[in-house]
Parts: sequence; structure tokens; C-alpha cells
Amino acid sequence: MYYPEPISKLVDSFTKLPGIGPKTAVRLAFFVLNMKEDDVLDFAKNLANAKRELTHCSVCGHITDKDPCRICEDQERDGTVICVVQDPKDVIAMEKMKDYQGKYHVLHGAISPMDGIGPEDINVPSLIERLKDEEVEELILATNPNVEGEATAMYISRLVKPSGIKISRIAHGLPVGGDLEYADEVTLSKALEGRRDL
Amino acid sequence: MYIEEIQLTNYRNYDHFSVSFDQSINVIIGENAQGKTNMMEAIYVLAFTKSHRTPRDKELIKWDREYGKIEGRVFRRNQSFPLEVVFSNKGKKAKFNHVEQKRLSEYIGAINVVMFAPEDLNLVKGSPQERRKFIDMEIGQTQPIYIYHLGQYQRILKERNALLKDLQRSQEPDPTMLRVYTDQLVEHASILLERRFIFLQKLRKWAQPIHEGISRGHETLNIDYDASVNVSEDMDSEKIRLELQNHFERFESKEIERGTTLVGPHRDDLLFYVNGKNVQTFGSQGQQRTTALSLKLAEIELIYEEVGEYPILLLDDVLSELDDYRQSHLLNTIQGKVQTFVTTTSVDGIDHETISKAEIFTVHNGQLTEER
Ligand SMILES: Nc1ncnc2c1ncn2[C@@H]1O[C@H](COP(=O)(O)OP(=O)(O)OP(=O)(O)O)[C@@H](O)[C@H]1O
Ligand SMILES: [Mg+2]
Ligand SMILES: [Zn+2]
Repeated sequence: MYYPEPISKLVDSFTKLPGIGPKTAVRLAFFVLNMKEDDVLDFAKNLANAKRELTHCSVCGHITDKDPCRICEDQERDGTVICVVQDPKDVIAMEKMKDYQGKYHVLHGAISPMDGIGPEDINVPSLIERLKDEEVEELILATNPNVEGEATAMYISRLVKPSGIKISRIAHGLPVGGDLEYADEVTLSKALEGRRDL
Repeated sequence: MYIEEIQLTNYRNYDHFSVSFDQSINVIIGENAQGKTNMMEAIYVLAFTKSHRTPRDKELIKWDREYGKIEGRVFRRNQSFPLEVVFSNKGKKAKFNHVEQKRLSEYIGAINVVMFAPEDLNLVKGSPQERRKFIDMEIGQTQPIYIYHLGQYQRILKERNALLKDLQRSQEPDPTMLRVYTDQLVEHASILLERRFIFLQKLRKWAQPIHEGISRGHETLNIDYDASVNVSEDMDSEKIRLELQNHFERFESKEIERGTTLVGPHRDDLLFYVNGKNVQTFGSQGQQRTTALSLKLAEIELIYEEVGEYPILLLDDVLSELDDYRQSHLLNTIQGKVQTFVTTTSVDGIDHETISKAEIFTVHNGQLTEER
């Protein structure tokens, strides 16, 4: 593709985003060329700032612009309940529902020996530390409802159980993607079933 | 149930093609490599969204084309439903009654199909894997939930085996995660085993009299489940679960030493006996063939028992291979109730009466033509 170099570079940047293939990247790059210069500058600044100013909360692992994050610092919230999720997106989804008043712990993944991911590769050790330091009474395990998410929840449950902390499991949402090989109606009923004791 | 029509687009050696079928017997005649098996495969794929002869969906798309499509109409429960399976480099999509089914277990069962082809002799002679595939497909097509448990089981097994490899290499293996996978594995394994046992009892019930009939009362067929763990058919899923749990506890260090999961439904097998002797090892060609045929015919009855309608029968290149007695036995079984597709290179060797009643098609280079 013999585009002028600045366009080629922009195309290359767009292809680094998830779900964007070469064709879409070219379309987006040419779209940018037609945007107002102010908008483009804003866009670039926002991209850089988002990256520069956002870090992971040192307590819960959620993305934040200040450390500890607003949720961890919020005195109104119930610090005795922690909801464990796989991804920052899960926190945002739960917060949208406005039902939950406890705190979070974001694992950033699930255990999967197949992919070389063990408990130490995700935020399990920091969760265990946290349970030692804080006055936690209940842990809600809201990892994804697939094999890896279930296994991660069961693993954490095994580690924490001896401490006497109440543990429950909630499967939120459904596995994404239209892969015919996976999932089924049981997943749906599991998700609807809601929280259960482990 | 029966298939009213099929429409193929960029599928195998078919370009753009549609055909209507007869409710009873359809005979497809053609020389080698013209597209007979491809047509049978298309019907099979419409039922299972995958081929009986390749695990690679891409091979179904006509060479140099972007996508391939199989559409059909099935008549069942007094209604006609459209079905559609599309393959492209983005994967596959399946629609039942115009609605895309995201999950295999939701689509499977839209039509029930039983296929009998020369390779099916492997059901008796071949590796245990062939027999496991047979059980899994057959249970799956009448009980979609089984497919879910099987999929979960296979996924857990992969994770568990990867972990066992890690533990095998480690100095002080920590078994905590392994026990998590053991629990998960046992949960699904016990359900799979219970369902397999129930299936087997039904299969036996239908296959035994059929086998006796085909062998003119000379042979008695017996089927056993050869389990890798100490479980038996009289156990319910709770008993099976306990036994599996015990087994995995006892053999934990051995599994770590070997770096893999040593037992489970993925290691089990079926054993076939004729007059008390194992047919796999001691059976004659004819006995093996009769056994395979009895199993397939039993399946037809079993599906009827489970879903209340007869499945569609695909006989690829086998009818003319059967001797007259077996042929007429088969044709009597299906007479008037099972929509049947027969392929052959020539009508010689096929029962005249059948031919005279059947709808005849000839296939040449990806074109099917109705003869009468
Ligand atoms: N993806 C594909 N695209 C185009 N042609 C294909 C494709 N896959 C297979 N074929 C062609 O289809 C033909 C085989 O068709 P098929 O297997 O249905 O033969 P058949 O009529 O059953 O023959 P036989 O009597 O030997 O069993 C071959 O000529 C093969 O090259
Ligand atoms: Mg063929
Ligand atoms: Zn935080």
C-alpha cells in the first residue's frame, strides 16, 4: 500500500486497536484527514492523557486517575464486602446497575494453565494480602461464567475458606462472541440464578 | 421428519444448485467423484453443522470462493422449517427458522440424521475414539445438553492437562489448583457417564433383536461399556461422582508424575460381543458388518423413541455392498417411515422393487438431475 508515510503510520496505529482490521484502519485514517484540526488535536491529547493519567489502583486494581481510586476511598461504601471481578469493564458494568454498595477487586484475567497464566500472574496475591489487612466479612466472586472463570473462583474460594470469610458466587452476564462451540442454555440459567454460596 | 429441499451455494463441487426430494426413498446415481458423497455430507452438515469426514470446515467451501452455504427445508411436527448453515473465513453461522442460533446445543436436533457409510465398519474395527465419537454424536443429537457438558469437559481437561504438565516439572507441586480442576472435571464426567449408560441400555434394547433378525437368529449381540474407572451402569450420577472423586484422590501423585489425566470418559470404550466373543478382535468381516448395521438401525428406532419422529437415513455407497438378505432386512425396517437417501455408482445389485418405488437422481460434476 503506497500511501504517503503519515497515513501509513496512522493506519498502522489504528490496526493496533481490537476489532480493527486493515480495511477499517484505512477508512478511519482517511476519515481523520477530513476531520477539523481542533477535533484531531483533542483526540490525540485525550488518547495520550488517558494513558498517562490513568493507572491501576494499588488497592483494588481498578483503572483510576488517582491512587487509591475513588471507590476505594469512598467512606460511604461498605468495606466489609468485596466483589472480585476479572476486568475493569466488569466494575463499570456493576456500577451502572447502582445496586452494589461494597468494594471491588479486579483480577485482570483468569487462571489458565493452557495460556500459561497461574494465580501469581493475576491479582490473586494482592487479594489475599488485602483480606489479611482489611476487615472483610464477605467475598463475592463475580468472575466470568466459563471454565476459566469458574476455576479461578473455586481456587480463590479454596484459599480463603479457612479464614471463615463468607464466600458467594455470582455469574454476571454471558460469554461474548458467537462461537457455536461454546456455551449454552445452562450458562443463561446460571447467570439468572444469581448468587449462590460456595 | 423429512427434508423437502436442499439448496447449495459454493459448496464442495456444487456451484449454485437446488433440488426437491421425495418423502420416502431417494436414489442418487453417479460415477466416481461426481458429488454423491458431497450431497450426503451436505445433509449431514445441515444436521450437525460439521462434516462426517473432515474437522476442517474450510474444506466445505468451493475452491476459490469466499463462503459456502447449505440451505434446506425440513418437514417435522406437521410444519416446514427453513435451515441454513454458512461457512466463511469468519467461521460458521447456523439459522433455524430464520433465527441465528449462537450455540451449537441450540441448533443441534433441528433435524436428526443417521448416516451409514463404508467407513462405519470402523465403528466396530477402529480405534476407541471412533466409538466415543459415535456415542457422543448420537446422545448429542437427541439431548443437546449433553453437548454442553462434553464441551465443558473437554475444555477443563485441556486446562487440567496443561497444569499437570507444569506440576510434573515443578519441585514442590502445589495441588490446590489441580483439585479445583478435578472437582470441575468430576462434575461433568459423572453427568456424561450417566447419560452414556442410559443411552447404552436403550441401544442394546433395540440393537439386540435387530442383530438377531439380520443373522437369522444365529447371532446374539452384546454391548458393554469399558470404563477407565471402576463405575458401572447400575450407578446413578451421584454414585459415579463419588467413585470418580475417590479415584482422582488416590491417583493424584501418579497423575502429576505422568503429567496427564489418566482416566475419564475421554478414555472409555465400547465393547461388542457376538455369541460371547469380542467382534472387534474375533469377528469375521460379515459379523463386523452386521454389528455396524445393527447399531445404525437401532439408532433409527432409538431416535424415534426419544424425539417421536424417525430420523433421516443416509446410505452412502453401502446398499449395494450388502447381500440380498441384509438389504431386504434394512429396507423392511425403513419401509414407508424413514426418508432415505441412497448413493450408488449403478443400480445393479440394488433391490428392484426399491428402485421402482424410489425417486431417482443422477449426478454429474456437481449437477443433480431428477430422472423421474
Ligand atoms: N471444496 C471443494 N471445492 C470444489 N470441489 C471439491 C471440493 N471438495 C471436493 N471437491 C470435488 O468433489 C468431488 C468428489 O465428490 P464426492 O466425494 O461427492 O464424490 P462421489 O460422487 O461420492 O464419488 P465416489 O463414488 O468416488 O465416492 C471430487 O472431484 C473433488 O475434487
Ligand atoms: Mg462417495
Ligand atoms: Zn481501588
